Amino acid sequence: MAEQTQGRQIQGGPVQTEELQAQLRPAATPRESYVFHWSHLPIYFFLMIGAIFALTPFLYMLTTSLMTLGETINKQWLPHQPRLGNYAQAWVQGNFDRYFVNSILISALTILGLVTTSALAAYAFARMTFPGRDALFVVLLATLMIPETVTFIPNFLMVRGGILPLPGGSWLDSLAALTVPFMANAFSIFLLRQFFARIPSELWDAAQLDGAGHLRFLVTIVVPLSRAALLTVTLLTFVASWNSFLWPLLVTFTPTWRPLTVGLWTFISEAGPETQLLMAGSVIAVVPVLIIYLLTQRQFTEGVATSGLKG
Amino acid sequence: MTAPPQRQVQQSPVQPRRRARRQEAWLAYLFLLPALLLIGVFGLFPILYSLYMSVYNWRVRQGDFVGLANYHQLLGSWGGPATFVLGLVLILTAHWLWTGAFAELSARRWWRLPAALALLGAGVAIALSWGVITTHGDAAFLQSVIVTMYYAVLSVPLQIVLALVLAALLYGKIKGQGFFRAVYFLPYVIPVVATAAVFRIIFSPRESSLANTVLGWLHFAPQQWLFDPRPLSQVLFGFQWPGVWAGPSMALATIVLFGVWTYVGYNVVIFLAGLTGIPRDLYEAAEIDGAGSIAQFFSITVPLLSPVIFYVALVGLIGTLQAFNHLYVMRVPSAQGTVDTASINIFDTFYQANNYGLAAAESFVLFFLILVLTLFQFRFFGRKVFYG
Repeated sequence: MAEQTQGRQIQGGPVQTEELQAQLRPAATPRESYVFHWSHLPIYFFLMIGAIFALTPFLYMLTTSLMTLGETINKQWLPHQPRLGNYAQAWVQGNFDRYFVNSILISALTILGLVTTSALAAYAFARMTFPGRDALFVVLLATLMIPETVTFIPNFLMVRGGILPLPGGSWLDSLAALTVPFMANAFSIFLLRQFFARIPSELWDAAQLDGAGHLRFLVTIVVPLSRAALLTVTLLTFVASWNSFLWPLLVTFTPTWRPLTVGLWTFISEAGPETQLLMAGSVIAVVPVLIIYLLTQRQFTEGVATSGLKG
Repeated sequence: MTAPPQRQVQQSPVQPRRRARRQEAWLAYLFLLPALLLIGVFGLFPILYSLYMSVYNWRVRQGDFVGLANYHQLLGSWGGPATFVLGLVLILTAHWLWTGAFAELSARRWWRLPAALALLGAGVAIALSWGVITTHGDAAFLQSVIVTMYYAVLSVPLQIVLALVLAALLYGKIKGQGFFRAVYFLPYVIPVVATAAVFRIIFSPRESSLANTVLGWLHFAPQQWLFDPRPLSQVLFGFQWPGVWAGPSMALATIVLFGVWTYVGYNVVIFLAGLTGIPRDLYEAAEIDGAGSIAQFFSITVPLLSPVIFYVALVGLIGTLQAFNHLYVMRVPSAQGTVDTASINIFDTFYQANNYGLAAAESFVLFFLILVLTLFQFRFFGRKVFYG
């Protein structure tokens, strides 16, 4: 890959990027060969009960979404004949095509902005010296304590316009209101800083000899080496953005930029007793997150584990 | 950005280094600018602005300056809140005296007497102040504060204990750790609006709902779940306790179940990561000494994991005190406000009643409570944590 060859050119030393990445990854537990023993049976039993509890609501959502209205009322476990038509009906009735595109756009923009601002700030905190660095970092961490309940009212007024000069006047019911406020947070900066700080300083010395500045070093060496951490930040931001509810509920009045969660909520509030359509709508909202989770499940849980422990 | 210009290097060797350092500092500030600007504008500035709003009569548009009137409306006049804060200070004093503020004197047991007295005073002050606050304050808001406490006190221990047990079981020498971990974590990543909608149907008061069917298998009577404003103590045991003592409603307990379902997996993942930090030899040594798995759990796993447990409890407390989304989505009119936590109440004051100034004041009271509870948690449990 292109970045890696460049990495090797600049170092000019024996350190390989693959090796470095392996070093920077959290240590995996060593695999032992498994031998079944009867005493494990109760453990599996309890773990299975937990798994059944975790999965039942999803299965219930899926089966109900395929039923007829009569079947949902008559306490059926499985639909007599799966009705895929429910999805089409919910999709059209709930205006989901629009909300879907909106949610994708909102998440993508938020991730793009957040990763950029966080990587820059994290790099400054991890690898540059400047007056007030530690104090700034403490202030930054303190912002983690601020509850959304305190900030959403002033933020609403601010986005409505007239308090701070926002570019473009009022942001209500616009893409900006749904993305810009979430394009930076202390948690992501902290997580990336921890990772960036572990990159050996020999690499920076080598890059300097090559005439690279901080920005080039960040883009060509640090970012490719930190793919694991950046992926974690991306995934956590995606989930937070895709699932956000309170704020979009406040700042969207029309379907123009309304995201899927608020769309689903209006659909639920208006659908009445048609349970099968509610569930079909819910399945539609769940599927994208589910697919991404299933694909990246390992990075996801490992990312949460490392970031959670150090946060 | 790059090396300093050649000309100056020839002139003097000290100057360019300082210049390079200054250049680096400027560049660092430039790197920080976008993130700090956003966090400052949408994270820090709102706190000051909220404080500013809370001293105005502010209904959609800014009105007159009213001083502390909004706070008085919420908490009654000075007496109640002041006594409450005095109670908090007394608790801290008692703790300070008890843990031997005067190390050389603490050998003498009589130092415990003033500590006990201070604690007693704290109890009296807080009980008295609560009486004063509730008679003069805003009933709906104070009720929502109580509901918030119920919600946090029920949720946090349940989430931690369940997650700890599951993580300890998963960490044993078994197959499929990855599978179970992925399954338990799944509810955490799914949009709350969707999962809460399913829970509303599973826990619907109809006799044919899934929850009531399961109760039927176990020969229990069907329940009203989210629609039941009666206290849990009354539903389960028929107790008729008065007021606050009756405890959380059945509807709130159902929402607690939802919270547990959502967050246990997250805690399991964090506990599992913490468990990998405990050396396996400890367990092997304990096994040789004849300790059973339950003894191992309590004498190795729990103490060595205590920093992680503390962290999870802290995050859980802060999270439950400001929980909003699932409570908002799962509340129904029949629950008669027994599931409306402070954050829900703030939202209603803002969104339905359009009283922005009062809502800002409410959010500050909640913020203060979160800060105090976090501080207390640090003070009382933070020291008991074993950091190895």
